[in-house]
Amino acid sequence: MKLLTHNLLSSHVRGVGPRGFPLRLQATEVRVNPVEFNPDFVARMIPKVEWAALLEAADTLNLAEVPREPTEGYEHDEDFLRKMHHVLLEVEVLEGTLQCPESGRLFPISRGIPNMLLNDEETET
Amino acid sequence: VEYVSGKVLFTTYSDLNMLKKLKSAERLFLLIKKLLPFTAASLSKGKILNEVQQLVHNDPRSWLDAVSIWRNLLKLDVNREEFSQRDANPLKRKMRENEGVIAKKLKTEEMQKIEENHKEYQLEEQTEDTLEQRESTMRRDKLEKEEIQKEVEKAAGAHSQEDLTFRVSCRCSGAIGKVFTAQEVGRIIGIALMKQFGWKADLRNPNLEIYVHLNDIYTVAGIPLFRVPLASRTYIKTAGLRSTIAWAMASLAEIKVGTFVLDPMCGLGTILLEAAKEWPDGYYVGADVSDSQLLGAWDNLKAAGLNDKIELLKVSVIELPLPSESVDIIISDIPFGKKFKIGKDIKTILQEMERIALRRLPLTLILSLPERFIRPPPHALAVFAHSVHCRYSSVGWQTMKEQAHGVIADRDWYGAGNKIG
Repeated sequence: MKLLTHNLLSSHVRGVGPRGFPLRLQATEVRVNPVEFNPDFVARMIPKVEWAALLEAADTLNLAEVPREPTEGYEHDEDFLRKMHHVLLEVEVLEGTLQCPESGRLFPISRGIPNMLLNDEETET
Repeated sequence: VEYVSGKVLFTTYSDLNMLKKLKSAERLFLLIKKLLPFTAASLSKGKILNEVQQLVHNDPRSWLDAVSIWRNLLKLDVNREEFSQRDANPLKRKMRENEGVIAKKLKTEEMQKIEENHKEYQLEEQTEDTLEQRESTMRRDKLEKEEIQKEVEKAAGAHSQEDLTFRVSCRCSGAIGKVFTAQEVGRIIGIALMKQFGWKADLRNPNLEIYVHLNDIYTVAGIPLFRVPLASRTYIKTAGLRSTIAWAMASLAEIKVGTFVLDPMCGLGTILLEAAKEWPDGYYVGADVSDSQLLGAWDNLKAAGLNDKIELLKVSVIELPLPSESVDIIISDIPFGKKFKIGKDIKTILQEMERIALRRLPLTLILSLPERFIRPPPHALAVFAHSVHCRYSSVGWQTMKEQAHGVIADRDWYGAGNKIG
């Protein structure tokens, strides 16, 4: 699971609503992979990023050199884009958990795949 | 380009390397001859068989030209393989030998007539020797290597036309199919070829395969250009949905740089694989509830080298842990029928998809449902529909087509008795 994906996930436990975001990340196994840098792609992701959530996750993983916010004219700032590329796409959580901030429910991450299936009592419907 | 039901006929200067990249076709043939169908009704059986023989005898030039073009194409292909292998990172490719996979439900065969042979490389006479020399510097899947070597040896080894061994595969449908069996017609053509050119028939391992298809639209004869159907992708280890359909769906979706594409019932990930392969700049996420499917998907991603491009989630399509209006594109082959028990109302699924989709952006579904369940969400721009288990009134179908931005599969696409995925 990449941090870009983590940035989008939110808990769907019953009654939690928007307070189910962001999921608290805990990692026991992390891998860093080189991924081909595509500045256009990164630039397009920036407006979608929830920064607080990203920074919280990055801090948990002790990532260095994480920009705190988009710079002015970030689309052309290669240094910024490369750093974001690294944070969003090159860091992979292989084992760990995601925790719903409201209900405390834990969702395991195994082999890089988060399991967010809810049982019947927990679902909204 | 000419498009008839089940076939696309086109002319091109491209070589096999380019043609291999065709994504929406099942198989590719080099056209030998194309004729209007024999009028089965008005002629006697004997007369029609005579017509079939004349396919060969009236026009031997077409056959010889086609064989010669075919040979050249193969030689060119091997040479190009040599050159590109040296520079490229040796990729492990798997070719599936299984020709039985050419299912009857195959829907698009592409026929190609090359009007001019575009030779870019000097053809080497000693192709077999060259192959041997470079063998040590290449890392390839052994089976594939042998395949190609065999092809070239067969083509080049038959130095004169007389050495050529062949096999005719025939299909008859429509009016003519009622009068003749495929075997009868195939035999007649085979005999005609032997008489005309002195070729020898070999049913087990021929140099040359001839495919003949007679239906109500055309009578066509062609040479298959690849041992393995185009639909059988080198980069997909285990296919779920037919790769050609998956590709077609993805192409409808108009994926651009940074487009967030979700398949909430991804199964083995075929759609995402096709999409990520062709449009690598999207952001792809697949979700499924089944561990075994996800495992298969993960294997597929790894085999294709796409595990950095596609993320996987174990989540349920009716409870997607995504904020509303966060997804650009949703593409899915919704499981249906007895093979998969989804146990959920299709309406709930569509509702959840609607929730997460950015408003008015394409929702591409592949469905097989009774009409009463089809209310394409207002922003469903493309809908596939498969009609075997549906009984669409022609009005209902028309309305849906009008609402949809693009319908790839018309109701007749799959024919009777065939299911998708």
